[in-house]
Amino acid sequence: MALPPSLRLSVTPPELELIACEQLIEIIPLVAMERTAFISGAFGPLRPPAKCKVPIWMATNLKLKKKCHIVPPDWLNVDFLQDRLTHETSQPEFSQLPFRFAEVAKVLLDVASDDFENPERLRSLLKDIQEARQAKSREGLSKIDHSELSLPNLCSMEINEIRPVFIKAMGVLSQLVREPEGRLPT
Amino acid sequence: MSFDWNEDDEDFFAGASFKPRTIEEDFAIPDDFANLGGAAIIPQDVVEETPFQQLIRHWMNERHAPDILPAQEMLLGRLLDHIRKQTDDVQLLRADPDSSEEEHFRITLVQTEIERVKFVIRSYIRTRLHKVEKFARHISATPELHDRLSKAELDHAKRYARLEETHYTSAVLQGLPPDQQSLDDNIAFMPPMVTAPSKTRAVFAHARQDCPPVRLPDGSTLEMTKGQISLTPYHVVEQLLAREEVELV
Repeated sequence: MALPPSLRLSVTPPELELIACEQLIEIIPLVAMERTAFISGAFGPLRPPAKCKVPIWMATNLKLKKKCHIVPPDWLNVDFLQDRLTHETSQPEFSQLPFRFAEVAKVLLDVASDDFENPERLRSLLKDIQEARQAKSREGLSKIDHSELSLPNLCSMEINEIRPVFIKAMGVLSQLVREPEGRLPT
Repeated sequence: MSFDWNEDDEDFFAGASFKPRTIEEDFAIPDDFANLGGAAIIPQDVVEETPFQQLIRHWMNERHAPDILPAQEMLLGRLLDHIRKQTDDVQLLRADPDSSEEEHFRITLVQTEIERVKFVIRSYIRTRLHKVEKFARHISATPELHDRLSKAELDHAKRYARLEETHYTSAVLQGLPPDQQSLDDNIAFMPPMVTAPSKTRAVFAHARQDCPPVRLPDGSTLEMTKGQISLTPYHVVEQLLAREEVELV
């Protein structure tokens, strides 16, 4: 078939990672490279030790060859995440985080954990935040109706996680609402 | 398919080297992190998407929408052309025995990107193919949908629908009584025999800008502000999606 059944209802986390890796990130290059034209624009020149902005996929590629250090984004540090976690566990609503924070954090911590000050602590904070948010999105299921549900500050990976259940739930609710009218065919 | 390259583009691709583009072409990539505060409302035309980012958006829309969306032929043509030129350059540079080590490592990066773009193009086309085959009979019976498909897709839809009908007829239907032979009966309380997209399926819509109000099934109206994410039936946001005011996530 054109599209495998597993891909028909939702996208997969690796596909979301691919999308997130188009975002730009700062690196400290360890090799020099002329300004180079890519399909998504021109990047470089790389002049060590000057910082440079490149897409995440390029940064991870260079990092794996030990040709750069990755500068962690503003939000990927212990203080910021600790603050978010406190907010997440004390407030009823979702706290603000970059839309693709889960993907970006995973990719960066996987390939460049040595560029972070305290990768283990970061991982456990991210995990706690994700669990706190998961609990909230499950609660959100009780607010669902047949017409609309607003989901402020929900992130791409979380949407993907709740998608099958929420779409199904909304489908069932629309059927229940539509039924009385449909029952009177003339 | 036609490609409207201007002369600058031709110049840029003429030499076998990944020369930087001119400033006008060097689109700034919208930086999600810059909008962390959420307060800055930037008009959509200021944050310009690169062609690849547009394709990613259309790819995701296509994956999430229950209906088949308009084909992005121009965009695909541009990207395919770009891939072809980058590939040619890579091959020329590979063949050159004098190229330095730095050159080799640039080639690897360029190739990596080509593969990423190819992956998205393939997945986009396969998603459409899946819908074309699933709704083949609905598409060939609904002329309003024909504009949304490329010529190849439409031909395929028609051929596929014909094939399916011929197969059903020769395998089963010709042995049945005449009034049970048709393939498009609409019997009350029964699902229709022609598979059509279910527009009531819910989708997650993300507003790319402030949207005009739309009517919800319960009679109220929904006015999405930029950045808002809503779970709502597909038919509610169908028009907004067609005008590219929302994207599906």
